[in-house]
Amino acid sequence: MLSYILDRLKSSIVVLFVVSIITFFVLMIIPGNPAQLILGTDATPEAIAELHAAMGLDRPLYQQYLSWLLELFKLDMGKSYVYGESVTVLIARSIPVTFSISIFAMVMAVFVAFLFGMLSAIKKNSITDYFSRSIMQLGAAIPSFWIGMVLIVYFGVKYKILPVSGFIPIEQSFTGFMRSIFLPSLVLAIGEVGTLLRIVRSSMLNSLKQDYMDMAKVKGLNAGKIYIKYALRGALTAPLTIIGMQLAKLAGGTVVVETIFALPGLGRLVLTAVEHRDIVLLQGLVMFITSIVVIITLIVDIFVMFLNPRIKSFHQGE
Amino acid sequence: MFSRTYYRYYGFDYKDLKRGILLVVFSKRYSFEILLTERKKEMKKTRKIFLLLLAVMLISACTAQESTPEKADVKTDLTMGYTTEPEGLDPHRTAAASTFTVTNNIYDTLVGVTPKWQIEPRLAEKWVFSDDGMEITFTLRDDVYFHNGRQMTAKDVEYSFNRLKDAESPRARDYENIVKIEVLNDYEIKFTTETLDVELLKSFVYPWAAVVPEEEAENLKTKPVGTGAFTLEEWVPQQYLILKRNDNYYGDEIKLKTVKMVLIPDATSMMAGFQVGDLDIIPLTGDQVTMVEGNENYRVLSEPMNAVQIMSLNTNNLYLSNEKVRQAMAMAINKEEVIEASMFGYGAKIGSHLPPTSPDYYDTNNIFEYNPEKAKELLKEAGYENGFEINMSLPKNYQLHVDAGQVIADQLGRIGIDVNIQLIEWGTWLSEVYGEKNFDSTVVGHTGRLDSYAFLSRYKSDSNDYISLTTGEVDELLENALHELDEGKRKEIYKDIQVILANKLPAIYLQTPHTMLVLQKNVEGMEIFPIDFYDFKEVYFTE
Repeated sequence: MLSYILDRLKSSIVVLFVVSIITFFVLMIIPGNPAQLILGTDATPEAIAELHAAMGLDRPLYQQYLSWLLELFKLDMGKSYVYGESVTVLIARSIPVTFSISIFAMVMAVFVAFLFGMLSAIKKNSITDYFSRSIMQLGAAIPSFWIGMVLIVYFGVKYKILPVSGFIPIEQSFTGFMRSIFLPSLVLAIGEVGTLLRIVRSSMLNSLKQDYMDMAKVKGLNAGKIYIKYALRGALTAPLTIIGMQLAKLAGGTVVVETIFALPGLGRLVLTAVEHRDIVLLQGLVMFITSIVVIITLIVDIFVMFLNPRIKSFHQGE
Repeated sequence: MFSRTYYRYYGFDYKDLKRGILLVVFSKRYSFEILLTERKKEMKKTRKIFLLLLAVMLISACTAQESTPEKADVKTDLTMGYTTEPEGLDPHRTAAASTFTVTNNIYDTLVGVTPKWQIEPRLAEKWVFSDDGMEITFTLRDDVYFHNGRQMTAKDVEYSFNRLKDAESPRARDYENIVKIEVLNDYEIKFTTETLDVELLKSFVYPWAAVVPEEEAENLKTKPVGTGAFTLEEWVPQQYLILKRNDNYYGDEIKLKTVKMVLIPDATSMMAGFQVGDLDIIPLTGDQVTMVEGNENYRVLSEPMNAVQIMSLNTNNLYLSNEKVRQAMAMAINKEEVIEASMFGYGAKIGSHLPPTSPDYYDTNNIFEYNPEKAKELLKEAGYENGFEINMSLPKNYQLHVDAGQVIADQLGRIGIDVNIQLIEWGTWLSEVYGEKNFDSTVVGHTGRLDSYAFLSRYKSDSNDYISLTTGEVDELLENALHELDEGKRKEIYKDIQVILANKLPAIYLQTPHTMLVLQKNVEGMEIFPIDFYDFKEVYFTE
């Protein structure tokens, strides 16, 4: 088992290394000279060349990459051009926002998805099943910016029970914090619940068909035990993987919601970095977000292994 | 499957189940109840806690926050929405307009400008030109203090202009002509130019010509220190920026205590925030005007920007090098439709490269009026009866230009010119179109100068600009304008230049879009300036 974890860890590190290379070089070869973009249409070619050099962009690419990588090990990702602040600090400040809405959204999505997913699997083709499947379709079909707008208009403008936009840190006020993240989380949850519900339903259906279910029934176990201990456990692998993927996606993919609700999260930071061609900030952000994705995937894999001993033994058998 | 018989089959008593019901929401027919029988007390407990937690979260999220509205007589804290983050707050180290909208309140310049384009004293009380117009001497106020408490003197002005002219400054080129800066005494400073520039005074108005203290120069990007009416209280990236009244300000008393600028990137959310009263002033987009117009609680400020939107043409292109083709294109474009599509009608049609707000503006709209029939004839005369194909590079970050470009492409299609639209990033636009001149046509805006020379000098044949008039018709005129001391005669020269441009068409001049702000009706004193900045000095609440 330990060897499995170590193995996954090793491959994660390789992935991160490859990502660092891709991140760096892709951002370097995209058209547009950052110095020209910063200085605008009024600057002299000499001024542009000077800033280009001052930003260290005139060195050979491999040198730039190596020095960047070296700093990265020291958790120093350089200084943002737009904010004049350390990239590490900027990212650290955005994490609570994105993470709280992502996690809260996933809590809501998981709750609804498991509840209705299991119910509709157990009572296939019932009203509940149709209802669940409608949720699925709606969640997948409604664009999040639209639902965000609608929620803002109703809860914020019309009934005035929730703030229209902005973020209140948890240490400032818990209720304020909850109020500021509720709508954005809801929007994210609506976007994710459909996929998750579908997976829960199909895995549950699949697991209900297994022989050991009949066995359990014949054995006379009570239904609760049957569904929770046997059916659900067998059906957990796929949803868990999906939850991991969704969480990973949300870590870097909340930009639309953050823009609509004016939340100072990672997604907004990425957008600002792109808009202002803040290459240093962008490199740091892409690297950070990919690391999060890799780490979440790793954790999920380990979880799944615990749930599904077959993976473990398969690996040991290798 | 879940009939009563099912329960019996597994040895359940139906009544047992009933006792286990926790989740009332679900009808007792469902299996969920089964999970909650007494045997599963443990699970029940954890679920109860979980549900309770969720309920608390939901309730706390939904209950309105108790707020104690201040019962002060008149509000003194202004909140304004903005959409683009400043690129740091150091006026000498960026070219970003988003920075200057803010920094103009923190730093001062030697002279200022009124909304009516009049130059007014600011840090300088008065100024005199030498007889040859090559030297200007400013007399500074003696009661100006930086936010750090130190008094401002002529030495600071000298330092600031040297910093503005150094290699790291994006605006250095604009101040190349100033070759000597002399401190005469603590409150007098003399600038000497290399060649005569009759518009020199105007270059002291721009927000990048701000005076900064040397001892704070290192950190101005995040910790700006100036002499302005407001100090920076706090800047939380991506969220807000708070300006606080400078109580040591040399000018008239400032009525607002604080100005909070809140970053809201999305226009609809911005409008929502305005409608519930969270925001006192917001920038307005054309499509939103109908939402606030006619509402007596709001007031709309709408002024033509000091800018022109143009369709730049590459005269090195085989087709576009032909003057008749360019003229045919100008007549094929219905500018009113372009303004409707890109600015919802909030724009003014132009025929040359100066906005109608400029004191030197001359109306050239009638030179090539919209006339598709005549356009076709001209195209025939030029030998392109069957039309041709050109590319149009549009900067996709600017919706205004993309919208305009699409309408133009359609209109040109009607006289047989096929336009291939290519959407490109702003960074690519700058390097490819503006820098490399690698384009056929593009739509873009040119903004923000007070003197017509700065607006028009790009057309000099040797300017190496992407739309310079290589045939040289305006070279001499521009040179004369720069040296003409008589204002009336200068106006005549600028008129001639505008007429030449309107005929030669190195670009097709489309419109001057409007800047729009919407204010709550209790906000007074906010104005729109010819330079892209806000000034909160005079703003106040009436209730």
